[in-house]
This record gives sequence, structure tokens and C-alpha cells, in this order.
Amino acid sequence: MFAKLKKKIAEEAAIAPRPGGATRIPRSVSKESVTSVGADSGDDFASDGSSSREDLSSQLLRRNEQIRKLEAKLSDYAEQVRNLQKIKEKLEIALEKHQDSSMKKFQEQNEAYQANRAKMAEGMALALEKKDQEWREKLVHLEKEKEMLLAQLQEMREQSLNLFQKRDEIDELEGFQQQELAKVKHMLLKKEESLSRAEQELEACRQELTHAKKELQVTSNLPLVLSNEVEELRHTVFFLQRDELVAAEANAENKITALEQIGQELQTFIQHLSADLQNVIDEKNKLIEHLQEKVSSLEKRLEGNFSGDEHVWELLKEKTALEQKLDDTRQQLLTARTNHAETVNLLETQVFPPPSSMPSVGLALLVLALEAARAFNKHLYPPEDSEMEQNGEVAAGDILQLQKDNRDLEQQISEKNKMIKQLQQRMAELKKTLQKELKIRPDNEIPEVREKPNSEVPNAAMTVTNNSDLNDSREINFEYLKHVVLKFMSCRESEAFHLIKAVSVLLNFSQEEENMLKETLEYKMSWFGSKPSPKGSIRPSISNPRTAWS
Amino acid sequence: MGGFFSTIFSSLFGTREMRILILGLDGAGKTTILYRLQVGEVVTTIPTIGFNVETVTYKNLKFQVWDLGGQTSIRPYWRCYYSNTDAVIYVVDSCDRDRIGISKSELVAMLEEEELKKAILVVFANKQDMEQAMTPTEMAHSLGLSALKDKKWQIFKTSATKGTGLDEAMEWLVEALKNRQ
Repeated sequence: MFAKLKKKIAEEAAIAPRPGGATRIPRSVSKESVTSVGADSGDDFASDGSSSREDLSSQLLRRNEQIRKLEAKLSDYAEQVRNLQKIKEKLEIALEKHQDSSMKKFQEQNEAYQANRAKMAEGMALALEKKDQEWREKLVHLEKEKEMLLAQLQEMREQSLNLFQKRDEIDELEGFQQQELAKVKHMLLKKEESLSRAEQELEACRQELTHAKKELQVTSNLPLVLSNEVEELRHTVFFLQRDELVAAEANAENKITALEQIGQELQTFIQHLSADLQNVIDEKNKLIEHLQEKVSSLEKRLEGNFSGDEHVWELLKEKTALEQKLDDTRQQLLTARTNHAETVNLLETQVFPPPSSMPSVGLALLVLALEAARAFNKHLYPPEDSEMEQNGEVAAGDILQLQKDNRDLEQQISEKNKMIKQLQQRMAELKKTLQKELKIRPDNEIPEVREKPNSEVPNAAMTVTNNSDLNDSREINFEYLKHVVLKFMSCRESEAFHLIKAVSVLLNFSQEEENMLKETLEYKMSWFGSKPSPKGSIRPSISNPRTAWS
Repeated sequence: MGGFFSTIFSSLFGTREMRILILGLDGAGKTTILYRLQVGEVVTTIPTIGFNVETVTYKNLKFQVWDLGGQTSIRPYWRCYYSNTDAVIYVVDSCDRDRIGISKSELVAMLEEEELKKAILVVFANKQDMEQAMTPTEMAHSLGLSALKDKKWQIFKTSATKGTGLDEAMEWLVEALKNRQ
């Protein structure tokens, strides 16, 4: 449709072409073209203006005709325009219609789409909801499962714990069992041993029994023979014993006679000695008398005349000679006494180890002889000689004196010893007090505190320790304590047990505390028993006794 | 587990450890003897403030040997260790003539203890490798050993650094301990 229109416009444009008007809308073009055509024609007329009225009328006619033609053309154009308008309207309507229809279609499509979409969305939402529901259900399910599993896990865990406990218990039981088993084995072994021993003994007994039975048989046959033999033997033994007895009797008698002889000999010897002594004493007495006489005569003579120096000399000589004699006799007496003492000693030695076979008679004899000798010996002591007596007395006195001195000295020594002991004790006490005042614990005393006080250990320790410096010793003590405690805490339990005493002494534990330590260690070392309850200073520091949490 | 069973068996069959104390004045050589017995070597020692304890195995017998410090100030603590002692090794320096008297008084004090009445006494006349060392007879006399009644004792000349005499002494001790049981 537009093509036709365009063609028409193009034709018109070709009639009155004007640059730039190609794009003008056809209505305006047509107007211009109308005007231009008229002008053109007018120009034509103007050129011919000089013509006549006819010309003018003809020209007017022609002009009218032209106008009519133009008018026809205009109406044509108008018609065309109207047609065009109509076409345009039609086109517009068609367009409108088309537009409407397209719009409708569009709308419809849109609606359909919307509806579809809505439907789809609804469907999807439904589906989603469904799925959601499903999932939720599944989740819930899973949750439940999870809970169940957790419960199971807990159960399993408990079970495993139980199992562990049971295993521990079983281990422990196994340990006990093994121990018991070992014990039982040991006992069994011992029993078996004893059994075998018993069996052996039984066997031995049986053998002995059979042996004894055999012997019994043999011996039951024997008694007759034996009784005969016994009879014979009895006879022979009787004879033998009698012989022996007789021989012993003879022997004893011989011994008795020999002893009697010895006794007699001794008596004769003693008599001889006493006689000798008597003689010596008599001689001495005589001599003394003689000397006294001489002395008295000499004194008289001296009183009588002082002249006669020679006489005096002689007398002096005599006197010296006499004195020498006196000495000699004294010597003799001494030898006699010593001899006598020897014999007495000899006799005593004979008496003291008496031979077992010696009869009492011999013993009595010997004793008698000894008594006699002793009596004789005593008899020697009071001699008639005054000088002798004096001499003896002096000697005895000397001896006595010496013995006395000796005793005195001994007593003095014992007294001195006592003094020394007392002084030592006092020194120890002073040392103790001094140490207390210096606030230094005497290290050597600690172990003795709880020990028996009788032994000499403290003394020994005191004498041995006093040369160390106090400060030094305290330092050493601390180091010692440290060492012992360290070891106590780190060493084996069997070793630690031996250290309890040392630790207790070093830290001044009470007996109770020491016992508690021992009990605790024993509990740790053994497999049985119960843990000892804390006592003393390690008890919890609460005033009321703890009540049970039940 | 092995240890567990061994303790069971040892407790069942009576092979308990023997307890031995090594005592003596400071510087006598106790620690050297202990480690010579344990590892068979001469170790460098310092004065023992305290004690050393080692397990020594000799001829299948186990000994728990305690070497107690011998310094003057810690000697009084010896008695804390006396209980349950099977044997005492008393070590004396054979060259220390000046302090043999102190050694004797300590020995006498120790032997008077009731807890050691059953213990066997072995005296080690140590440091015999030195020139001016006293003879065992001299030492026994100086320590008054001959006056000991109802006490099983023996003296040995030893040198811990040279390792001489220790074997004989231990052999005697083992025999004495076996016979005692």
C-alpha cells in the first residue's frame, strides 16, 4: 500500500522537482506544486501581456480551464488524499487491529506464561514443600538415629569401661591366682618332698622291721645258748671281778703302806728338823748367855780399869767375832726355815691333786703330815732368841707395812678413778647445757634420746665427736638430713623401709609418727591390707571428725 | 611382669637379699670398697655425707650393701641403720695409727648394740698396699678383737685400690652367712 503511495508521490515530485523536498510529506508537496504550476503559467501569460482582449478572454478562458483542470486535479488529489486517508485509516485500523491482536496475543501469551509460571511455581513450591517435608522427616529420622547411636556409644563406652575394669580385676585376680598357684605349687612340692621322705622312712622302717623279725627269729633260737653263755660268763666275770678287786685291794694296801712310810719318813724328817732347830736354838741361847756373861765381865773390867788398851782391842775383836757367829747362826736358821717351807709346799702339792685310787687313809695321813709340818712351821716363829724375834718382827712388820701401803695406794687409785668418772660425767653435763644455751642441738645426743641410757655409747660418741666445730657439724647435719630425705624419697621401697628410723631421728618424729610411716610403707609394699588412717600431725586439720557422704 | 614373678618366687623360696653395712672411720675406704665390690672398678670418691646403697651380687647371693658416711658428726646416726643387719664390714685404715683407738671405741660401741648381736663381723684391714701398714695381727690386737666372745668375726688384709683380699673376705662372709642359716 505504501509502495503505491510512494510511487505517486515520486511521480508528483518528478513533475515539480524541488531539491530537498523528497522527504517532505506528500500533502505539502502537492500544495507547492500547485502554486508553482500556477506561477509558471502566470509568467507565461505575463510575457504575452501585450495581446488583446480576446487574447485576454481566451487567456482567461484558458486560465479558467487551467483552474478547472487544476481544481479537477486538486479534487483528484483530494480524492487521492482522501483515499490515502482512507487507506491510512484502514492501515491504522489494520495496524490497530494488528496491534490489538498482537497485544491480545501477547497478553494471552503473557497470561498463559504467567499462568504457566504460576502453575509451575505452585508446582515447584509444592514439590519443594514436599521435598522439604521429606527432608525434614529424614532429618528427624537421622536425628533419632543419631541419638540412638549416641546412646549406643555411651553404652559401648560404659561397656568398654566395664570391660577395662573387669580386665584389670581379671589381671589382679590372675596375679592372685598365680601367686596362690605358686604358693600351692610350693606347698605341693614341699608336701611331695615330705611324702617321699615319709615313704622312704616307711620303707626304711619296713626293712628294719623285717630285719628285726629275722633277728627276732634268730634271737628266739638263741636265748638258750645265750643263757648258757651268760652263766659261763657270769662265772668268769665273777672270778675276774674278784681277782680285780683283790688286786686293787692289794694295790691300795701297798699304796697305803707306801704312804704310811712316807708319812713316817716325813715325821722323822720333821722330828729331825725340830731337833736340829732345838739344837741350834740351844746353841744360840748358850752363846748368848756366854756373850752376856762376857759382856758383863768386860763391862766390869772396863769399870775396873780404864788402862789396858790392848785388852780393849781384844775384847772388841771378840765382840766382832761373836757378832759374826750370831750372823751365821741367823743364816742357818733362815735356811732351815726355807727348807721347812719347801717341804711343806711339797706336801701340799702332793695333797692337792690326790690320785683317784688313793684310799682315804692315805689322804688322812698326808693331811696329818701337813698339819704337823704347819704346826712345826708355826713353832718356828716364836723363838727364844730376842734378837731373832726382833728381826722377825721387823721383817713381818715391814711386810705388813708394805701390804698396808699397797692397799692404801690401791684404794687411792680406785678413789681417783671414781673422781675421774665423776668429772667426766660433769663435763658431759656441762657440754650439754652449753650446747643448749647456744641453741645448737648436740648431734651426738639425738640418737640416744630414745635409746636405753645404760650403754657407754654416749660417752664414746662424746669423746669422739667433741673435736668438730659446732657450726660445721650443724651444716653437715643439714646436708646429711637433705641427703637422707632425698634418698628416702627416691630409692626402692625395701631400701626406704630401712631409712625410716634415720628420717625419724633426724626430723624428731614421735614414736607414733614413725610407726605410721612404717605401716604406710608396709601397705605400699604388700598387695593386701588396708591403707592405715592418718594419725598425729598429718591428720587433716579439721576440728570435727569427718562425716560420711552417703 | 618378669620382675613381678621373680619377687614372688624370691619371696616364696627364701632367697631374700642379705643386708650388709660397711662401717668405719672417715677416709678408711668404705665407698671405694663398695664400688669395687659392685662394678669391680676403682672410682674417684668424695667424703660421704650421708650414705650409698647398692645391690651387689656375689656367688648367686644378693646383698643390699649400705656404705654409711664415717665422719665424726654423722657417726652417731649409724645406729639408725642397725636393725635387720646380717653382717657388718668394718673398714680400718691400716696406716692410721693415730686414730686406731677411736676406731676401736666406735667398734666396741657398735658391737654393744642389741640389734647387731646376731650380725657377722668382718674387719677389713684396708690400704695394705701402703708401706707403713700395720699387720692384721697388730690390728686385731689394737681393736681388741680377741676379747670378742659369742661373735663370729674374721679379719682380712685388703687393698681396695689394688683389689687384693676382697675376694677372700667375701668368700668367707658368704660361707659364714650360709652356715648361719
